[in-house]
Amino acid sequence: MATAAERTVPAGAEGPGQRPPALGGAAGLAGRVLRGFLTLREGSVIVVTAITIIYFIATTSNFATADNFKNLLPYFAPFAILGAGEVFVMINGEIDLSIGAVYLLSPFIFEKLAGAGLPLVPALVITLVVCMLIGTINGFFVAVVGIASFVVTLGMLFALEGTTLVISHAAPAAMPGTSTLSIGTFAQVFGGGTYSELIWALAIVALLQVILTFTRWGIYTVSVGGNRLGAAEAGINVHWNLMRNFILCATLAGLVGILEAVRTTTATPDPSGANEVLFEGISAAVIGGTLLAGGSGTVVGALIGALFLGVLNDGLIIKGVNADYLFLYVGIAILIAMTLNTFVQRVRKGAGRA
Amino acid sequence: MPDEATTAQKAPATEPAPTTGEVLRVEHIAKSYGPITALRDVNLHLGKGEVLGLVGDNGSGKSTLMKTICGFQKSDTGRMFLRGEPYEPRSVDHARSLGVDAVYQDLALVDELSVYQNLFLRREHLFPALQLVHNRRMRREARAALDQIGINIPDLNAPVARLSGGQRQAIAVARAIHQQADIILLDEPLAAMGAKEGALILDLIQRLKDEGNVSLIIVAHNYVQVLQICDRVNLLQNGAISFDKPTAETSLEELNEIVVEEYRRARAALGNGAPAAPQTATRR
Repeated sequence: MATAAERTVPAGAEGPGQRPPALGGAAGLAGRVLRGFLTLREGSVIVVTAITIIYFIATTSNFATADNFKNLLPYFAPFAILGAGEVFVMINGEIDLSIGAVYLLSPFIFEKLAGAGLPLVPALVITLVVCMLIGTINGFFVAVVGIASFVVTLGMLFALEGTTLVISHAAPAAMPGTSTLSIGTFAQVFGGGTYSELIWALAIVALLQVILTFTRWGIYTVSVGGNRLGAAEAGINVHWNLMRNFILCATLAGLVGILEAVRTTTATPDPSGANEVLFEGISAAVIGGTLLAGGSGTVVGALIGALFLGVLNDGLIIKGVNADYLFLYVGIAILIAMTLNTFVQRVRKGAGRA
Repeated sequence: MPDEATTAQKAPATEPAPTTGEVLRVEHIAKSYGPITALRDVNLHLGKGEVLGLVGDNGSGKSTLMKTICGFQKSDTGRMFLRGEPYEPRSVDHARSLGVDAVYQDLALVDELSVYQNLFLRREHLFPALQLVHNRRMRREARAALDQIGINIPDLNAPVARLSGGQRQAIAVARAIHQQADIILLDEPLAAMGAKEGALILDLIQRLKDEGNVSLIIVAHNYVQVLQICDRVNLLQNGAISFDKPTAETSLEELNEIVVEEYRRARAALGNGAPAAPQTATRR
């Protein structure tokens, strides 16, 4: 979140044309702070998430506890990472539907490699390289061949889910390096430690937000999404930009697949679960303020979007909602939250930032 | 003297007779898209500090010619010379590195990026260590660059989506100049602009002309504006330059007459049938 502040504070500070007329007193200061806050792209989702958290704190006795925070993490951290990768592809004006399938496949690749006698770290590296190749193939078909990313990655989704069922013989596999008795260093780092996934999520989100805001890669990603022809005319290598964002997205999905499999000590070949993961990842990005149409988005927003989804799932469970009703409530809550989000965004536009 | 004789003999073989202050020469450029001939045989030259108006109807090949000069696509045949040297742009980037840049109708601006980010698109200043963009330096230089060509944009952090058409055009031109271009091609700079917006651009072109460092090719539809701002006018018809005169020596009537004459000829060639369809490409 620090990165978001860094990004927008100088912008706000140097826009004298946009500064609201000076107001006197505490009310004026509060107004300015609120206004400044709302100029953050992430402002609206922060408001919505805060309201959701306050609601659960107020209506349940054990939401605001350390134990529950730990329970909440797996509902949140993996989707923050998936959403962060998806943000780059979505800013490009594309979508990657194969992240759930990559997530599903990667632990099995890892398990096969480790099972074949490879040490854990090289096995992990090779697995991630395979994920990068998958991203390259997605990017190739989208950027070079020119097929809609929706179609390309949908094909990839089925192909990879099929591959997973084939190589796993549709049976779960124990993750190497993990055991219920003792958790080794590898497992501690890659998903097994209590805060492992959270640290990965925060580090990845921070890094990617810096890349998005402060590097050519990020600026060109926005350019390709905002004006693809114009970006090409300006001399930006559009194909390469698309490719690397698909590669990023697939690699992160592969990493999350391994983190989650290590955390649960088992890789499960369950395509429907993987598809749910896909939708949560995309939802995190969209709820966080990344446009489906491209040209605009935020990685920190995806983190908060994922937090919102995590809080919602966890909070509803704590409230003792009947399991059959859970999805129904989640769906309704997302619609309400997004309506609110849109409303807050309008206020934000009024505050002077497109 | 023998020395003189050798040079005189050699010169035409390698390059055209050097014209004083000529920065760009295009010779026998042709370009087809499959069965459609966009450019048949184009010859064109541009002097230093000159403003050349390139007019022609839709489909006459204006955009194709422009894209060829600025390296967006290659011609099938023909050659070009830049400041007397053979000029074969491999890409837009390459052309730009040689000082040739284009400002397109769609402006190649990214609405979502700020004024200064657009001004430095593809030419970002970076901190050397981490390769992060140096926003403060870019804002400072953007301000100076815009001041220099007399464009007033209060908020450099504003996304360009919020600017007017004239301001956007001015930023695109400023970008080309700031990136050291001294030959700039403007594609329909006044299309779809209100009177006030148009005046802003005409002012800018006049200022550049007065300074005399930048040579401009202005592609336009509107003959009146071309006669107003250009030093010389070239008419592109059926993929070739059919008319080349200083604007002082021609008139709106003359230009109109040539174009209408072409239409009449085409109709006559079809006998008493329906009005003729244009013979050339309509694609850009």
